[in-house]
Amino acid sequence: MRILALIAKRLFWFVPTAAGLIAVVFFISRVIPSDPVALIAGETASRAQIEALRVKLGLDRPLPIQLADYYRQLLKGDLGTSLFTTRPVADDLLARLPATIELTIAAMLIAVLFGIPLGVVSATRRNSGIDHGLRIASVAGLAIASFWLALILQLLFAMKLGVLPLQGRISGFPPRPVTGFMTIDALIAGRPDRLWSALAHLALPAITLAVPALATIVRFTRAGVLDTLGRPFVDYQRATGIPQALIVWKYVLRNALTSTVTQIGLLFGILLAGAVVIETVFQWPGIGTYAFESILHSDYAAVMGFTVYAGGIFMLVNLLVDIVHGLIDPRGGTV
Amino acid sequence: MPILRSIGTSIARRLVLAGLASFALLGCLGQASVAQTRFVFANESDYDTMDPHAAFDVGRIAVRLNVYDGLMRWQSNPAKLEPWIAESHAISKDGLTYTFKMRKGVKFHDGSEVKAADVVYSLERILALGKGAASLFKTMIDPGKAKAIDDYTVEFTLKKPSAIFLAIVPEIHIVNAAQVKKNEANNDWGAAWLSKNAAGSGAYKLTQFDPAIGFVAARNADHFKGWGPKFIDEIEFRGVKDTNTRVLGLMKGDFNGIGGYLQTDQLKRIEESGKAKVLEAESMRVMMMQFNTTRAPLNDPDVRRALNQAFDYDGFNKNILGGQVERNPTPLPNTIWGNPKDVKGYVFDIEKGKAGLAKASAKVDRPLEIHFLTGFAQSEQAAQLFQNGLQKMGIQSKVVGTPWPTIVERFGKPETTPDISIYWISTYYADPHNWIGEMFHSSGAGTFKNAHHYKNPKVDELLDKAVQATDQAERAKFYEEAVRIVVDDAPGLWIYNTKWYGPYSKNLAGIVFCPIGNAQEMRTAYYE
Repeated sequence: MRILALIAKRLFWFVPTAAGLIAVVFFISRVIPSDPVALIAGETASRAQIEALRVKLGLDRPLPIQLADYYRQLLKGDLGTSLFTTRPVADDLLARLPATIELTIAAMLIAVLFGIPLGVVSATRRNSGIDHGLRIASVAGLAIASFWLALILQLLFAMKLGVLPLQGRISGFPPRPVTGFMTIDALIAGRPDRLWSALAHLALPAITLAVPALATIVRFTRAGVLDTLGRPFVDYQRATGIPQALIVWKYVLRNALTSTVTQIGLLFGILLAGAVVIETVFQWPGIGTYAFESILHSDYAAVMGFTVYAGGIFMLVNLLVDIVHGLIDPRGGTV
Repeated sequence: MPILRSIGTSIARRLVLAGLASFALLGCLGQASVAQTRFVFANESDYDTMDPHAAFDVGRIAVRLNVYDGLMRWQSNPAKLEPWIAESHAISKDGLTYTFKMRKGVKFHDGSEVKAADVVYSLERILALGKGAASLFKTMIDPGKAKAIDDYTVEFTLKKPSAIFLAIVPEIHIVNAAQVKKNEANNDWGAAWLSKNAAGSGAYKLTQFDPAIGFVAARNADHFKGWGPKFIDEIEFRGVKDTNTRVLGLMKGDFNGIGGYLQTDQLKRIEESGKAKVLEAESMRVMMMQFNTTRAPLNDPDVRRALNQAFDYDGFNKNILGGQVERNPTPLPNTIWGNPKDVKGYVFDIEKGKAGLAKASAKVDRPLEIHFLTGFAQSEQAAQLFQNGLQKMGIQSKVVGTPWPTIVERFGKPETTPDISIYWISTYYADPHNWIGEMFHSSGAGTFKNAHHYKNPKVDELLDKAVQATDQAERAKFYEEAVRIVVDDAPGLWIYNTKWYGPYSKNLAGIVFCPIGNAQEMRTAYYE
């Protein structure tokens, strides 16, 4: 019941938060000196032709009226139509969303599966060579520029060793999507060759994306475990003869994970909003490059559509983090 | 603690080893393979729409040239206008009526015949959508002025005589009217449907389109032009934004061709790899600076002439760009008619420039703003080099990067147009009007091609005459005179004419370069 109440509360607050976010982005996107109508009209268009097209598209009307119209259309579930592609923004977003989600899940799996154990090892071997090594590596992981790492991985694994693909989501042009997730579509089609290809193509971008997230998780897990190891209940458990491995991996880790889970949630939200650099270098057709191009072209409907999506994702991720906190720490806390 | 250590390190080691082993294994299994009759091109721009009437650019031209046909088409280099679906054309004596006789038996991809009504619908659609080449057509022809005289004869009646109408007829990409009409929604002329589908008759049939990736098209064996003994069965055009990924992809064999506007070191890298070749041709894309002539001190021709002597042309073209371009001293590309060959243009001479500034009536008493296009390294390099030259001449300047949409907005009004803007004018049609006509006629002030806001009644008169005359020799004289006046008046600074470089797989042959299309028409290509 507490969880249901939390969800209801979050949904209640989502409406004004989203409305405010939309209004802010709406005005910012329109006051910056950029003219998408001139771009659509073409390089040879005269000023009169540009203005005529502006009127036709309804972009000459006062901004508050345009915003009110946008809210109205949003309530009907319509994200509008892109000025440039002339397709519904929802269609364009949905076409790219699976690529972003698939990459994010792969990156987060790598980051969590490697990050938490390494964080625990680092904490339990405090000040040892391994701990120092992991601390240096995690600082480097955070500091390293994604585009550089991407390039190095491409040169090493794709060009020199030739063991992983250079770019794209699958070998050749992607087959017509069923779910849009290459791995799932390959399973549905019963094509193990496509599944391997999709997984191989995921490897380099997922590793590149995972490195800073992994570094963050290692650092937070290490700090959490160190803090928890010093608590009285750990001394009590040791005194009762519970094996050390069980204490650490079952009791200490569970208590130490609260802040790590918050970080995982935040990282998940950020990654789901797209990773422009990695998408560009690996030619990964995700949501980040779409948002970037839309902003560059001042494609208003597309920018607003992305804002609604990103806002929704952050709200959802925050809600999930709160729920997981509740499950890890049954005492109540934020729930 | 020892137990813990051993568990920790054991888990970590196993995870790392398992991860590396599986990635290596997956990589071997996931290697890309491209069949011999498949061509994959990595383009700088995305293919965000398949609509042939929504764009009039070079970036997405592969869609228009391979999936669609027109009445006429620009071919080879120097570009020559050739009949395509039209068999012949006639122009009335008053220069107002253009009549095209069409080939019989040309088929759309759905098997229906291409007829005059489809041409009429296509032009009406262009005018109604108001995108792409519409702005040019609108200056020449009104809606309702294209008529199907019979199934194979189409007639266009212009508002006033225009010698460039023929030059842009290739932009009437013929769509299957019945098919598009079936897919219209809310009077959109089928815009939403045609943005992701095709209704053409071109040499390749669209088989797949993904706006996030690109498109695939299969050979149309029945194409009216016929095929040579060798051809490519399937073409794929992808948007690949990252230059390095394009280059590595070509060298690895993922791509068989990539966009050729590359920096010297990348071209060298491709050639030295031995895994691909680079074709070369002189193009018609002019790099220039446009001066805002409405504001002091750049409203003074003496100051503008002096500025033309502050740019190190040879240093830029030969040293910075490694000689991959040709000096172009006028607003017209070297290779086009109407460009007087005796005009040598300005040379880099600081002392002469200083002397010119001294006798100018306007004084340069404020820093000049030089705007380059954000994301285009060459325009930034040119801005910095120019800043250096100006500094030597005693002129202060500020270099500012501006994204394309923003600079287009600023060009709209003289008061917001930057002092100096550096960019390129590409070939949309091979007629001098594409450059000097649109860049210097006062009616075009404030458009992307005309940030000079230049007004010279004599130049306007010459450019009007050049558009109204029908004889090319007569037109050439008007353009030559206009070029002389403009170069003397120096409302801009003209740097180079681009050379086209085509990086392709070693065994690819039959690529034909045309400045309009950048060699992206694949009908003639094949593997050796």
